[in-house]
Amino acid sequence: MASLTDSEPELAMALRRLEPKTSYAELFAERTHGHRVNVDRQTTTPRPEPTLAGVAVRAWDGQRWVEACTSGLQAASVAAAVDAVARRLSSAALSQGPPGPSATGRGEATTVEKRPVADFGLEERIEWATTRRDRVLGFEGIANCFVNVATYHEERLFLNTAGARAHQRTVRVLGNLTAIATEGGKVDFDYAWAGGCGGVELLDRMTDESLDTTAKEAVALLKAHAAPSGTMNVVLDPSLTGTFAHESFGHGTEADQIVRKRSYLGPLLGTQVGPECLTLVDNGAYPGAWGSIAFDEEGWPARRNVLIDKGRFVEVLHDRESAALLHRHPTGNVRRADFLSRPFVRMTNTYVEPGDRSLEELLEETRDGVLLQSFTSGIEDPLGGNMQLKSKKGRRIEHGELTELYPSMALSGKVLEFLQHIRGVSGPEDFGLTPGFCGKGHSDLLVTGAGGPYLASRAIVGPA
Amino acid sequence: MTGPAAFTAAHVAERLRGRVEAPWEVYGERLRRYELHLTEGRIEMVRAPVSLEGYGIRVFRPTGDQMGVGAVASSDLSPEGIEASLASASETAKFARFPTRRIELPGTATRPPASIETTDPGLWDRPVETLEAFVHDLLTPLEGRSGISPSFGSVRATLAEVTLANSEGLQRHVPRTEVEFEFALKAFGGPEGAPPGEYWINRRTRGLSSKGLSHEVDQWCQFAQDVRRPERVATGPTNIVLSPSVLADVLPVIVGYRMSGAAELRKLAPADGDAVADPAVSIFDDGLYPGAFSTSPFDDEGVPQARRTLIDRGIARGKSYDVLHASALGQSVTGNGRRTEPEFATWFRFATAPGPRATTLVLRGPDGGSDAELCEAAGEGIWVDQLGYAFPDSLSGAFGGEIRVAYRIRGGKRAEPVRGGTVGGLVFAPSGSPSLLNSLKRVGKAQELAGALVTGPCLIENLTVAGE
Repeated sequence: MASLTDSEPELAMALRRLEPKTSYAELFAERTHGHRVNVDRQTTTPRPEPTLAGVAVRAWDGQRWVEACTSGLQAASVAAAVDAVARRLSSAALSQGPPGPSATGRGEATTVEKRPVADFGLEERIEWATTRRDRVLGFEGIANCFVNVATYHEERLFLNTAGARAHQRTVRVLGNLTAIATEGGKVDFDYAWAGGCGGVELLDRMTDESLDTTAKEAVALLKAHAAPSGTMNVVLDPSLTGTFAHESFGHGTEADQIVRKRSYLGPLLGTQVGPECLTLVDNGAYPGAWGSIAFDEEGWPARRNVLIDKGRFVEVLHDRESAALLHRHPTGNVRRADFLSRPFVRMTNTYVEPGDRSLEELLEETRDGVLLQSFTSGIEDPLGGNMQLKSKKGRRIEHGELTELYPSMALSGKVLEFLQHIRGVSGPEDFGLTPGFCGKGHSDLLVTGAGGPYLASRAIVGPA
Repeated sequence: MTGPAAFTAAHVAERLRGRVEAPWEVYGERLRRYELHLTEGRIEMVRAPVSLEGYGIRVFRPTGDQMGVGAVASSDLSPEGIEASLASASETAKFARFPTRRIELPGTATRPPASIETTDPGLWDRPVETLEAFVHDLLTPLEGRSGISPSFGSVRATLAEVTLANSEGLQRHVPRTEVEFEFALKAFGGPEGAPPGEYWINRRTRGLSSKGLSHEVDQWCQFAQDVRRPERVATGPTNIVLSPSVLADVLPVIVGYRMSGAAELRKLAPADGDAVADPAVSIFDDGLYPGAFSTSPFDDEGVPQARRTLIDRGIARGKSYDVLHASALGQSVTGNGRRTEPEFATWFRFATAPGPRATTLVLRGPDGGSDAELCEAAGEGIWVDQLGYAFPDSLSGAFGGEIRVAYRIRGGKRAEPVRGGTVGGLVFAPSGSPSLLNSLKRVGKAQELAGALVTGPCLIENLTVAGE
């Protein structure tokens, strides 16, 4: 398949046509393709991921951004997008530049694949999926099993009129399995996953042992009693810790929300918001993680940004505008979902750093409460500062021991109260990152990672 | 772009016709999208246009007693790009397996239903001006209000030319408009010490209208103020009134899947004749409901859409089918072969393969009367206008979310605002067990089209609330 670099001279020339009309313009080009295989008891569905290519052209119009996008990389399509932007530019576009610094660096990056996806043929993918499906279907009580294995190739090129050029090729791999149990009209399930940026080696994380546990838990969930309701001690597993980091804190640190005074966290910057055991990070440069990127969509390299350092809220995530307004520097967090979507300040991989406790110690100190396991979702409340996390399952903690299995639960409460109640964070042996998808508001879904170790606190929990 | 007259599907089909022996189908879309993004009451970004043209090809190759379906999607309309797509579909079909020997694609004899409106003409003709006028009408009622300001928002209009062609000679063209609107209002200032409050709305509609907008803005401002001084909720089974917008987050996803051929094929659907809801509750799938964004003369396979019964007075009576699932299950197609998911729907559809998916669900139940009468019937409980998100799970049928905008019902009257804690449960459960559908006792008279659901507010008895 052709590369974006084949079209680069024409793309650069098209961008230069805007130089006489604006103080700043940029062009973002993207090509994506991939392959997915879905199997269940009844069907086998291999399917190429959509092959999409196109550009977004953005220019500063003195007071606001103007943007046009088009599918296709042909000169005529790109010219039409450039012309559409040029038509909307006013005379102010030349007299006043956009706030914040423009990237000027040049860079190249390619995902390292230990076992290249290109060598993972269609028959091998189907074999991978059906083998795991059949293993899970062998468990008594399992009615069906959905397996998905997908690989995504994404090539992105960023050019601006300040001289920046960032070219990155990213390969993502994702495998997930859902074991479904049914009885008397009731349906429940459990799931397992593996994925990240890299090659087929990432799928090795989905072990036979993890599949067997998934199958047994799906069957057990059918007979599980609903979790108790109310305020109680909780322990979050690594996936829930990540959802907490992302939804409850991460969204509130997107500085565009702070600039428009839509973040409960804005007034707290520089203050102690949690215990010393809590360090929370957004890291787009995390090797091999699902949400990793080499450069953001303003041309800045991705980096590790510490948001909470030993309980102190020290940094937020910036684009060029928020960085200028808050006298900071861009943090490499401007992302587009694709060439059809606008850029926003976004998270990459957001996680709680490991602490120094063991899970056993956290359970012992919790005494009675619930362990929430296997995140399914969460949603932010940037202004209100509330949190909502949902787990697929959990376990009762009785006298410091894990006992009864519970089906899906929702956790809610005030984030700042939750932070104050954090009693400990487990060590690096428990640390894990989970692949996920995140929207800005209700739109613009893109890939993000989230994770951490086990974390103990207190919150409202109920069946959901 | 493929030229003014040659619609996308026909352009691609030209290269398939006579060369592919197996049944095939091409779904094409040519889309223009216009977006205004707001921050603090001003437009921070204009995106005009976002242009996209793409297609999805399906090739159906019988293999023994199974069907191999090769499906691809691409935005590459060059001859080489179409060739590559066709080769990929053909190769994929060799390895795909679906449990049917033959399929029947709709042909030229398929008759369209009566004329169905699928566009907002004003939006189609003058998209940017229409968006700007809407934003003006949205922001004007907020001017001069103290303690209330918009914080962010966007309004995004999609204008689509949908085209369809298949090996049976079918050719269809359906224009479509869709609008996604998101807006957050902030309440702040006195009384001293009160935190700011926000009301955040998100809706998807067929068109754009300012009719009634001023009244709605008043309501949103009230919500934003009310969430600043909420009481907390108590734990326990509670009578809950769910607003149409909350129900719209839950029912289309869960009922849509469980009452589909996809769930039936995988042994996850209730059987026809099973009791799945209170005996007074019925649910219809209405592909022709006026003004709904799923309304269309044809589904994405070219089959006429229709109004059909899914649940009749508490009993499962029908499912939604696309071409493949209807063939595998010995049923007739129902006009539900759709390329969009009810949850996280994208504004372009060619990249998603068709599946049996609900259009617009219409919920009917025991008449609950006015809002005041619904509160009276509830006695003691909570009226929930908005959850953080209901997180519907189509497989287990569970839903649940944080209570964000809600009011206590005390002594049969709507009382003070409450916030925090969660409410949730199952949509489906065996007869006699508590579930949203088994425990749905009243449907309010104030019917509205909310997303992909038509309903009034519903009284559900004894839903589980987790609070203080």
